[in-house]
Amino acid sequence: MRVMRVLLTPVLVLVYWQAVAQSGLVSAYLLPAPWTVAKTAMTMWETGLLPQHIAASLQRVAQGFSLSVALGCLLAALTARFSLLDQFLAAPLSLLRMVPPLALIPLLILWLGIGEATQITIIVLASFFPFFLNVREGLSRLTDAQRELARSLHLSPFRYIFYVVLPCGVPSIITGLRLTFGYSWRALVGAELIAASSGLGYLVVDAQQMMHTDEVIVGILTIGLFGWSLDAAFRRLCALTLRRRFPELDA
Amino acid sequence: MIRAFTDIHLRFAQREVLRGLTLNVAAGGITCLLGPSGCGKSTLLRIAADLLRPNSGTVSLPAAQTAMVFQEPRLLPWLTVAENLGLALSPQPSENSRNRIRQVLSCVRLNGVEDLMPRELSGGMAQRVGIARALLRNPAFLLMDEPFASLDAITRGELQTMLMGLIAQQRTTCLFVTHDIQEALHIASHLAVLHNGVIALTEAVPREFAAREQLKQRVLAWLQRPAA
Repeated sequence: MRVMRVLLTPVLVLVYWQAVAQSGLVSAYLLPAPWTVAKTAMTMWETGLLPQHIAASLQRVAQGFSLSVALGCLLAALTARFSLLDQFLAAPLSLLRMVPPLALIPLLILWLGIGEATQITIIVLASFFPFFLNVREGLSRLTDAQRELARSLHLSPFRYIFYVVLPCGVPSIITGLRLTFGYSWRALVGAELIAASSGLGYLVVDAQQMMHTDEVIVGILTIGLFGWSLDAAFRRLCALTLRRRFPELDA
Repeated sequence: MIRAFTDIHLRFAQREVLRGLTLNVAAGGITCLLGPSGCGKSTLLRIAADLLRPNSGTVSLPAAQTAMVFQEPRLLPWLTVAENLGLALSPQPSENSRNRIRQVLSCVRLNGVEDLMPRELSGGMAQRVGIARALLRNPAFLLMDEPFASLDAITRGELQTMLMGLIAQQRTTCLFVTHDIQEALHIASHLAVLHNGVIALTEAVPREFAAREQLKQRVLAWLQRPAA
């Protein structure tokens, strides 16, 4: 029943789309019918074109996401531990956070050239801050009572961090991971505009330049479906593995 | 009697909370520390547990041999009961540590709760786990900061009886902070009253009813005096 409720709106959208396409109100070039898009998707899948671009995008997102998480963890831990560092970095980080990553493309191309490094950097710039801020917020949830408890038990630094500090931040960290993935995934198209020769973003732009609107829609829908599926799978995994210890994650 | 604190001075902001406090506690028994709210009772316990440093004075209770029970259980909500208790033991889990956990839970009359999460416990059960965690450290000195204050009367009575039995059995020296005179007279072998930053009264709790009532009146008289 729940699955039916979730699928109802997409099904209605498909039906409406088909009706508009068949009515002739909009040219097939601007809005191909859903069945045309589906056949194109099947062809692209069978020829290996779609899997190839999906793999390239997943690899880029994985690299950018991993870097964002690693940098975010490191910086959040350091700024939480050393207030002086936090004060020194507050202004430059706030400034950088307000600059759209795409605005930095000209500078990145000058410094890093046209290629994977620039693409990954854009993904990192787009996704680093949500994770950093969420980890900082999570680490700040530690209460004075919990700190006092840890001191009264004479916990070693390792046990203090592993059993008290980190678990305190888990809900925020999980939220940060989901947001970071979302921003990484969305930054993909922008990143793959820069002389990429593979990837879903490249596929969309290349199809647009070749005036293959059906392929454009296939690319866009693939981006959306993959992003949604990965996010849903991650959320489900967190709920299954962590919900007993963190019931607030059971969404 | 054991000398616990000698000439303790502590100042918070502009206010001198403890003004040369000296206190002896009953060895192997329960000493109750009474005083009005905000007089520094909990502060003194934190000094004993090395959670707070006095401005001057000597604490004779080695921090490594003390264990503290707070007013609320302070169980970490993401750990099971056994895992919360395990924090009081050495890092390497072993059959011995699992047995000790079962044993100490049995001492506080909680059996079969090792795998429960703190949110699945009642207030009384959670406070028993907090006491068990303190006992697991085999402390020479047990510091208890109004541990039963938030519990209902029946549960409080049960835990008071349990505590008296445990202390008698293990001969641990216990410093118990409370604002409840009846509780103090019921569980303690010695009373101390904190007033104006010093110990104003220290007496053994007599067994005879009339003598206990007289002690109660003396304690009340100190508690009702305005602070300087």
